[in-house]
Amino acid sequence: MKRLIITLMVLLALAPFTIFAGGASEESAGGDGGYKVALIIENTIDDKGWCQSMYEGLVGAQEQLPGAFTFEYSEKMTTVDSESIARQYIADGFDLIIAHGAQYKNMVTDLAAEFPDVSFAFGTSSDIVGDNVFTYMPESEETGYLSGIIAGMLTKKNNIGLVGPVDSGDAARYNRGFVMGVEAVNPDAVVNVAYTGSFSDYVKSAELATTQINAGADVLTGSSQQAIGALRACAEYDDVLWLGQDLAQLDTPEGQAKCVAASSYNYTAVVVGLIESLDEGVKGGVCIPMNFNNGGFVFDYNPALSSLVTDEIRAKVDEALASFEASAGVLADWADVQI
Amino acid sequence: MDLIINILSMTVPFSVALLLASIGEMFNQRSGVFNLGCEGVMAMGAFLGMLVPFMVGHGGPVSNGWNWLGLLLAALVGALLGLFFGVIVVTFRAPQGIAGIGLQMFGVGTAGTLFRHFVGGTQSIPGMANTPIPVLSRIPVIGPIFFSHNLMVYLAFLFVPVAWYILFKTSWGLKVRAVGTHPRAADSMGINVNRTRYEALALGGALAGLAGAYLSVCQVKMFSDELIAGRGFIAVALVYFGHWHPVKIMGGALLFSFAQTIQYNVQGLGIDLPYEFFVMLPYVVVVVVLAFTSRNQTTSPSALGKPFNREIRT
Repeated sequence: MKRLIITLMVLLALAPFTIFAGGASEESAGGDGGYKVALIIENTIDDKGWCQSMYEGLVGAQEQLPGAFTFEYSEKMTTVDSESIARQYIADGFDLIIAHGAQYKNMVTDLAAEFPDVSFAFGTSSDIVGDNVFTYMPESEETGYLSGIIAGMLTKKNNIGLVGPVDSGDAARYNRGFVMGVEAVNPDAVVNVAYTGSFSDYVKSAELATTQINAGADVLTGSSQQAIGALRACAEYDDVLWLGQDLAQLDTPEGQAKCVAASSYNYTAVVVGLIESLDEGVKGGVCIPMNFNNGGFVFDYNPALSSLVTDEIRAKVDEALASFEASAGVLADWADVQI
Repeated sequence: MDLIINILSMTVPFSVALLLASIGEMFNQRSGVFNLGCEGVMAMGAFLGMLVPFMVGHGGPVSNGWNWLGLLLAALVGALLGLFFGVIVVTFRAPQGIAGIGLQMFGVGTAGTLFRHFVGGTQSIPGMANTPIPVLSRIPVIGPIFFSHNLMVYLAFLFVPVAWYILFKTSWGLKVRAVGTHPRAADSMGINVNRTRYEALALGGALAGLAGAYLSVCQVKMFSDELIAGRGFIAVALVYFGHWHPVKIMGGALLFSFAQTIQYNVQGLGIDLPYEFFVMLPYVVVVVVLAFTSRNQTTSPSALGKPFNREIRT
């Protein structure tokens, strides 16, 4: 009897994984031929944030360079697990492995030294860690600045909330750019910057946003995938608006209702650059910056909330955007901003 | 004053998931079963809780009855997972710590897998709206702190005295405490130790499932794979913090949420300290209080974590 119960329990435990084994955890996208590219991400390809933007970048690059490469992806890869799956990709003959997150730096550095014929890429980072390693660094102070202009001109209480994950990488750049943008148009406004300490704790980001709203904030922003929680919290209040750091947020019901505008990382340009480098025989040793100047960012308004965006706001944003598109490094002093 | 009211009015709803899960864990541990799988049960509850209103409304508004049905389903499946855990640790007497970790991984993994299959990416729902209590919610200070929340908040706090009554004033509560303290003596008095532990695990699982669903249906109103983010383990810690007593556990849940809300607010005050200090503050508070209060552990169930085999004298 015990054996029967044990057998049934094992079958019960395995059933969901067997039934859905053909799901979306890892699948091929695109046709045969060209380079074999692997993507390793910590969250999922539909997280409406960091990981989704890179996935969409790969899909977009495939459309721009038909037949140039195929790719597979592995989701929910912790730093510890990532080396195992990366080695599997290497054994399967992949040419380029993109580990999408600075947390994978050590893994990439070690494997790059062990497998010099394989190319790797990780970001956000501007470090050069090997001749066969590309890095990419979003200069997110530009996207933050645009959001800051809009927030500074929309706030009625001069109280703005910023829900950050951690103060590092592109989040740190976005936050400081945001503060610069607010100060440029509304020096009287106060930006309350606070951190959850996590990239993916949706509950904390929602709690933090709720706390900021109750403390008087009427416009909020936030970065990384956790920001979705904060955006959802904003949707509970009639007179609160949101500035997004990912265009995917505009596709959500709460984004439609609350997100005035959003910027997004355009990883298509990065991936196209990587593939073209491989074509030229360059396997790494290069940091690819992402900015409006090289098409690394995309900015758009939410058509559903266009009535909120006055001509004055549009003019200020257009002015800043034009300067970013004209040349990189316009906000070179972003690191001087004290938060 | 506004800052204090803001902090306290957020503390109450933010504490509910921890409160429900830790009281559920208290029933588990009072019966002698240490369930580290609380996190996994909460994940399943969070998923199933939002699944019902999501499937009915496709992400749009639904009548509140569907939200309640989601909460009920989460509690039901939580109870079943509690019984499933019981088969492993009560009937088969597997090591409870390891089995609990297994249940945690099973719950989180299954919830994530089913979520991807039935829902897709990170998804929000309208969820349960706040229901301010007429008259009471207008009382200055007290109103916003205690009477301006959703119905689950009121029910969760009303359940605290109910849990106390069940545990200390009913014969079933006496059985639970007996099998967690001296199962052999309880057995000799005719109490079915295994059945009592199964019942406690079912109740504990139901509350953990409800706690998860509270997050996805009432508080954050969305689901993602990592929604629970370690709160199940904090709930286990709060049981020790509260010395296996529902009122003290409520105090622990409120203290943790109070510290959390304080750090959210204080970060915005421009105090010249690294933000990491504020982020870790709630956890430090729990560890410090646990360290000072753990010297008096006379109320801990003495058979906690020990499988019972009536054919073996221990």
